[in-house]
Amino acid sequence: MSQSINTTSNQKKPILQRLKRNYIGWLFILLSIIGISLFYFYPMIQAFLLSLQSGMGANLDYVGFDNYVRLFNDPTFITALTNTVLYLLIQVPVMIVLALIFSVLLNDPTLKFKGFFRTAIFLPAVTSLVAYAVIFKYLFGNNGLVNDFLINLNLISSPIAWLSDPFWAKVTIIIAITWRWTGYNMIFYLSALQNVDRSMYEAARIDGASAFQQFFFITIPLLKPIILFTSIVSTIGTLQLFDEVMNITSGGPGNSTMTISMYIYNLSFEYTPDFGYAATVSYVILILVVILSFIQFKVAGDKE
Amino acid sequence: MKKIKRVFTYIFLSIASLVSIFPFLWMLISMTNKSVDVTAGRLLPGGHLIENINKLIEQTQIGIALWNSFIIAIITTILTLLIGSLAGYGFEIYRSKGKDMIFSILILSMMIPFAAIMIPLYRLFGRISADAPFIGLDTLAAAFLPTIITAFFIFFFRQNTKMFARELVEAGRIDGLSEWGIFFRIYMPTMKTTYAAASIIAFMNSWNNYLWPLVVLQSPEKQTIPLLISNLGAGYTPDYGVIMTAIVVATLPTALVFFLMQRYFVAGMMGSVKG
Amino acid sequence: MKQSLSKKLWLLLVALFTAAILVACGDDTDGENADSDGGEDASGGETTDIIAWAWDQNFNIAALNLANEYYENEDFNMEIVENAQDDIVQKLNTGLSSGTMKGMPNIVLIEDQRAQSFLQSYPDAFYPIGDYFNTEDFAEYKIAPTSLDGKQYGLPFDTGATGFFYRTDYLEEAGYTHDDLVNITWAQFVDIAKDVKEKTGHPMLALDPNDLGILRVMMQTTGTWYTTEDGKINLVDNEPLKLALQHYKELMSNDLVHLVSDWSQYLAAFNSGDVASVPAGNWIAPSIEAEASQSGLWKVAPTPRLDMEGAANASNQGGSSWYVLNIDGKEAAAEFLGKTFGSNSEFYQELLTEVGAIGTYKPASEGDAYQYENEYFGGQKVIYEISQWMEEIPQVDYGMNTYGIEDILSAEIQQYLDGKSLEDMLADAQAQAENQFK
Repeated sequence: MSQSINTTSNQKKPILQRLKRNYIGWLFILLSIIGISLFYFYPMIQAFLLSLQSGMGANLDYVGFDNYVRLFNDPTFITALTNTVLYLLIQVPVMIVLALIFSVLLNDPTLKFKGFFRTAIFLPAVTSLVAYAVIFKYLFGNNGLVNDFLINLNLISSPIAWLSDPFWAKVTIIIAITWRWTGYNMIFYLSALQNVDRSMYEAARIDGASAFQQFFFITIPLLKPIILFTSIVSTIGTLQLFDEVMNITSGGPGNSTMTISMYIYNLSFEYTPDFGYAATVSYVILILVVILSFIQFKVAGDKE
Repeated sequence: MKKIKRVFTYIFLSIASLVSIFPFLWMLISMTNKSVDVTAGRLLPGGHLIENINKLIEQTQIGIALWNSFIIAIITTILTLLIGSLAGYGFEIYRSKGKDMIFSILILSMMIPFAAIMIPLYRLFGRISADAPFIGLDTLAAAFLPTIITAFFIFFFRQNTKMFARELVEAGRIDGLSEWGIFFRIYMPTMKTTYAAASIIAFMNSWNNYLWPLVVLQSPEKQTIPLLISNLGAGYTPDYGVIMTAIVVATLPTALVFFLMQRYFVAGMMGSVKG
Repeated sequence: MKQSLSKKLWLLLVALFTAAILVACGDDTDGENADSDGGEDASGGETTDIIAWAWDQNFNIAALNLANEYYENEDFNMEIVENAQDDIVQKLNTGLSSGTMKGMPNIVLIEDQRAQSFLQSYPDAFYPIGDYFNTEDFAEYKIAPTSLDGKQYGLPFDTGATGFFYRTDYLEEAGYTHDDLVNITWAQFVDIAKDVKEKTGHPMLALDPNDLGILRVMMQTTGTWYTTEDGKINLVDNEPLKLALQHYKELMSNDLVHLVSDWSQYLAAFNSGDVASVPAGNWIAPSIEAEASQSGLWKVAPTPRLDMEGAANASNQGGSSWYVLNIDGKEAAAEFLGKTFGSNSEFYQELLTEVGAIGTYKPASEGDAYQYENEYFGGQKVIYEISQWMEEIPQVDYGMNTYGIEDILSAEIQQYLDGKSLEDMLADAQAQAENQFK
C-alpha cells in the first residue's frame, strides 16, 4: 500500500522519509529500552552472578556451576518442576478455551444482561487473594460445600479429600487458578473482538456458515495475535505460579502441590536463606519459559 | 432451535456467573458477621457491620493506605499505558530487523520470577537513595517505578496493533500529520477498547502489588492496602470480621474501575473502526 | 463530537496525573518536615529516634507500646511499625542481604525458631545485648535460641509454653476427671482420645496436615529436636521423634483428628464445639475464650510427655524475642529493652492484665496479676500454672533448618501414613535433608 504513495511523490524523498521514520520509531521505544534495561536486565545479570554463589544469608562464596548440578539431585526441585509442568499442560489450554467461549458469547450484540455476566465472570480476578484462599479452603474442606453438593447429587459416595490428598490437592489448585484467571483472559479477547470488523460475520452468515464455522474460521484467525499473547502470558504466569499455592495449600500435603516459585520463596525466606541457590532455580524457569515461548511463537506462525 | 441455543447460553452464563460471584458474596456477608461466625462459615448476614467498620478505622490507617494505593495505581496506570503503547506501536509500525531483535530481548524480562531480581533491585534503589532521595527507598515513586515499564504491556499493545488498520497511518501521513500526531490523534482514539482493557489490568496489577511495595516501603504512613490486609491476618487471634471488611473495601476500587471501563466492550458501540 | 470527548478525557487524565504527582511529592516533603520538626524539639538533649518492627496489633505491638509508657526517658522516641511476621522475615532478609542497612529498624521481633538462621546468616547485623540485662532472670529454654557463640543477642519475650486445653463436659462424659489428665503421657492421650471418640463421638483435636507443630511439641518434652546441638540432622536415630510419629499416625488412622486446612478452620474446630481438646501454646487461650457461650466448659492440664526417661510435662510452641540491629541508636535501643522487658517486674504485671502476654521473665510470676482466677476456665489460675510449666520446658537448640527439614519430613510423613515403614521413611528423610543442608 505504501507503493501507491511512493509513486505520487518524487524519487529521493521516500528514502529520507523512511530513514526519518525509522529514527522516530526508535524514539517510540527508547524509554522502554532504558527502563527495562535498568529495572530488569541489570538485576537479572546480578541474579545470574548470584546463581554462581552459595551460602547462607550474606555469607556467599563463588561455587561456579555447583548450584546447577545440585538441582538435579534435589528431589524437592524435581517435584516442584513436575508439578509446575503438570499445571501448565492441563490448566492453560482449559482456561484459554473457556475464556474464548465466554468472550464470544458475551460479544453477541443481542444478548441481554451482558454487563452483569461480564462483571460477574471478571470478579474473581479482583477478589482479594486472602479472601478467596480462605473461602476456597472452606468450600473444598472435607465437610465443605463442594463435597456436600457432590454427595447430594450422588456423584460421589464419600467425601473427597480435596486439600489433604496429594492428587486432589493438585486438582483443587488447577480449579482455583482457572477460577481466578479465566475472566482476566476474557478481557483481552473481548477488547480485541471490538476491533474486529462485524461485516465479516454478516458475510459469513449470508454464505450459510454456522456459529461453529464462524468461530473457527473467522474469530480464531482474527484473534490469533491476542491468543498468542494470552497463551504466552499464561504460560509465564503458570510457570511462576505462587499465590494460589502459597495461600491455599502452602505446597502441601508434603510438597505435592509445590511449584518452582514457591520453592524459590522457601529457599529465600522460609528456610535459612540461600539466595544463590534460589537464583539458580529462577534461571531454570527463565530457560523453560524461553523454550516454551519460542515453541508457541513458531506454532502460532507469527508471520513476518 | 435458535431459541434452545439461546436458553443454553443463558443457563451456561448464569452458572458461570454464580460460581464466579459466590466468594465475593461470601465476603460481603462475612463483613457483617463477627469473627467466630466467619470462621464457622456462616452464610447469613449478621448485625456486626458497623462494629467491624469502626474497628477497622480504629485499628488501622485504612484511609492513608487507600490513598497511597490509589495514588500509586493512578500514576502507574497512566504511565504504563503511555509508555507501553508508545513502544508497542513503535515496534509494530516502524518494524525493522533491529527492533524485532530488541523486542525479543525485552520479552525475556517477563520470564524471570520477580523474587529472583528483587534483592539486586533493592540494592539498586538503595544506591539511588543516596543521590536522588525522592525516588529512593521508602518513597511512593520507588514502589511504582519498576512496574511502569513492562514487557507485558509492550507485548500486549504490539499484538493489538497488529489488528490496527495500517491504512489509517498512511491516511494520517497524507493529511500531513506528524508521526507523533498520528499516534496521539489517530491511534489512541481508535484503540480505545485496547486502552480500556490495559487500564483495567494495569490498575489491578498495581492495586494488588505486594512483594515489591512490601520491601521498598518502610514507614507506616506509606503503607498500601495489601500490606494492611497482611498485617490484619498476622495476629495470634485474627478478627476475621474486620479482615473481611478490609478486603471488601480493598476490592471495590478495582471492581469499580472494571465497571467503568467495561462499557468500551459493548459490541458495535464505536461503529466499525475500519469503516 | 467524538474528538472533543476524547480531548476532554485526556485533559482530565493529564490533570489527574499532575495532581497525583504533586500529591506524591507533597507527601515526601511533609515527611521531611515532620522529621525536622522532631529534630527541633530535641534542641538541648540528644533525642534518639528508634524504629521497631513487630506483628500483631493486640499483642506484640501493644506490649511495645506499654513498655514505651513505662520507660522514663524523655530523649527516647520510638516509632512502632506493624508488619506481619512473614513480611518482617522478607524485609529483613532483603535488606540485610543487600548490604544497605538503610531502612532497617533498630528493634525487631523474631520468632525463636527462626532466630538462629538470622544470627548466623548475617553475622554482623545484630548487636549483642547481654550487658543490658541478666540472662539468669529468664526461662532457661529461651536462652539457647536467642544466643550465638556465647553472646546474647535476643531479649526473651513471650512464652509459647504449651497446655492441654480440654472440654470438661466431653471428657467427663468419657469418664475422665481433671486429675486423670494431669501429667499423662502422649500414649495415654491417644487412649483417652479413643475413649472420647467412642463415648462422645467428638474427635480429640484438630490438626492441619501441613503443620507439624504437634510433633515438635511432643519432641521438645524430651529436649530433642530435628537437629543436634552441633547442627547435625537428627532424624533416623531420633527415638523421641519415632515415638511421636507413631502417636501421630495412631491419631490420624483411628479417625481421632478433625482435619483442617486453614487457621480459621482450626479456630472454628473448637469454637464450634467439635473437638474435645486443644493441645497448643498458651497464646491460643484468647481464641478459645472468643466463644463466650463455652465459658466454664474449659480447663487446662499440663502438656502430655513422651514416655521416655527425662521427659517433662512441659513444652513450647511459638514465642519470640526482641533483637537490636547493629546500626546507629543501638545503645539507646538496648537500654530501652533492658530497662523494660529486661528487668521491670511491675511492667510485666500490667503486660499480663492489659495485653494478656505472658513473658519469660521469671521474677514476674510472683506478682499478683499471675494469681488471676480465670472464670472461663472454671476459676483455674491458668496464668500461674502456665508460668510454672514454663520453667520446666526442656531447652533445645532449634538450629537453622527447622522449617527446611520439616518440608522434607512432611512429604515423607504422607508416605508413612500410606504404609511406608517408619525406618525407611526416616532414613529417606535423613538422606534428603543431609543432601540439602550440608
